[in-house]
Amino acid sequence: MSAVIEARGLKKSYGSTTAVDSVSFAIQPGRIVGLIGPNGAGKTSLFKAILGLTQFDGELRVLGRDPRSERNELMRDVCFIADVAVLPRWLRVSQALDFVAGVHPRFDRSRATDFLRKTDIKMTSRVRELSKGMITQLHLALILAIDARLLVLDEPTLGLDLLFRRQFYDTLLNDYFDKERTIVLTTHQVEEIENLLTDVIFINRGHVVLDTAVDAMAERFVQLTVTSENAARARQLGPFYEREVFGRVAMFFEGRSPAELAPLGELRAPSVADLFVAKMQGGGQA
Amino acid sequence: MNINMNMPGATTADSAPAAITPVQQSMARVYGTLIRRELWEHRSLWITPLIVAALMTLTAFPIHLGNLDPEANSAKFFTPENRLGWFTLMIWAQTLPQYLIMSIVASFYLMDCLYAERKDRSILFWKSLPVSDATTVLSKLLVGLVVLPLGVYLLAMVSGVLFQLIWSARVAAGSLPDVAIGWNTVAWLKVQGLMLFAVIVCILWFAPLAAILILVSAWVRKNVFLWTSLPPVIAIIVERIAFGTHHISRLLEYRTWGIWNALGVNPTPPEGVGHGRVVSLADLFDNVEMGKAFLNIDLWLGLAVAAALVFAAIRIRRYRDDT
Repeated sequence: MSAVIEARGLKKSYGSTTAVDSVSFAIQPGRIVGLIGPNGAGKTSLFKAILGLTQFDGELRVLGRDPRSERNELMRDVCFIADVAVLPRWLRVSQALDFVAGVHPRFDRSRATDFLRKTDIKMTSRVRELSKGMITQLHLALILAIDARLLVLDEPTLGLDLLFRRQFYDTLLNDYFDKERTIVLTTHQVEEIENLLTDVIFINRGHVVLDTAVDAMAERFVQLTVTSENAARARQLGPFYEREVFGRVAMFFEGRSPAELAPLGELRAPSVADLFVAKMQGGGQA
Repeated sequence: MNINMNMPGATTADSAPAAITPVQQSMARVYGTLIRRELWEHRSLWITPLIVAALMTLTAFPIHLGNLDPEANSAKFFTPENRLGWFTLMIWAQTLPQYLIMSIVASFYLMDCLYAERKDRSILFWKSLPVSDATTVLSKLLVGLVVLPLGVYLLAMVSGVLFQLIWSARVAAGSLPDVAIGWNTVAWLKVQGLMLFAVIVCILWFAPLAAILILVSAWVRKNVFLWTSLPPVIAIIVERIAFGTHHISRLLEYRTWGIWNALGVNPTPPEGVGHGRVVSLADLFDNVEMGKAFLNIDLWLGLAVAAALVFAAIRIRRYRDDT
């Protein structure tokens, strides 16, 4: 099956600032991809390009279409949540369902109402009367009832408490995701979603710093914790990042065999969050 | 608080949604939904006309004609010859305020409709659904320029009939003098026909103004009202100072008050009016050359300009987000 999203030399500038600089990557169907980067890394620009919300240079195909010229067709198969706060405050819950049912050919209203029945959201409520968590639930109810092939989420849980965040991702995984669908998401709370992701793309200053499947990560990257006596020897093997924790040094290696490193200290597979910090601060491109 | 959103024991395999067979969304259904959406958001679109229509209907109660002294000057207007004139004049007097208020409501709506979705950031939600920018912009233009005037036309018709019912009841009850006032179906139909003709010509004639408002609404980042009202004022002043000419103000005047000319209504009253004769709008229906209004080249030039402006508004919304 061909890639859901394929970017080649994708570039986006605002005046003299380059937000996305000749980025290339491919996202395969049936994956959950975390697009992770610090503020201002170019995540939002990339999202807007994928969703046909902004002009860009280079090549980008989403579900085989060009988001610039074929946005109308594309949006039948793509869903997105841009932000938790974008549902209009005057909208009633029942009107939201009426509206999406009236314009979306792939919306299953009963699915959305089933979902809402399990929440405290009333059909007659207006969005302005709902809490931030409930607004997200409503938005999720609308999205889950749409039979889309690609779901794009940009910081969907920003400002929500831990309970709502956990439920959001559980629901997404249990009630929505399957092998035909692809989810691309960004969040600052990397720790919370790392078990969810099948792939990560790290992006920094407009460049892709790392693009890997989570499964393959453990083979490629190793975190070695050494005592300060062994630090100098370990350093000779060329870690791309190190930091000191409680008198011991955690070093991050790429492409080193465990056999080489094991005698020097404790080995483990780095978490996505640790690797993210290492990649961002250690610099360099993968 | 029940915040458990998951089905107990739900697994990926059995709870993933079955592929939904796409419903063929007809254009009519999409436009119907979009128009309803506008009425949900901009409730003044229907609340204001309803209130004005109700008030205009209720004016049938307080109007007091007093005892018409046959010798008094005013009495000579209430003669059997003027029966039709008074009847149609009452409809007119009762309808005109409804259209005037409507034009204000429509202007503010058109100025706000594409700006509001950016202000409350909901544009990214609307854009996450498969509705093209062209469809969205056209649906909003349709609401302000066509749906609203036709709705007010129907409201005015209903409120006019109710007004006449109250009026007749008062005459029957003796609270109004039994002078030459009364229902006439043929005249009523003619007035309705005349009004419909006027509404249609107005829609076509004012289309470029509506298109300007919607373009400003799509374009500006803040202060829609200032961006709509100030530029023409400044342009008029600058033109007057720099060139000593008045082309812009004349053009604006032509595109607003010029509607009477476009309708083919002769501003000078027919013979005898003001000398004890009241002209009937039904006569006007017989005399206006309706076809002529549609042969007016300026009407079609205005429409062409409107189409270009709306096209520009669609292009602008295409790459607009919440910033």
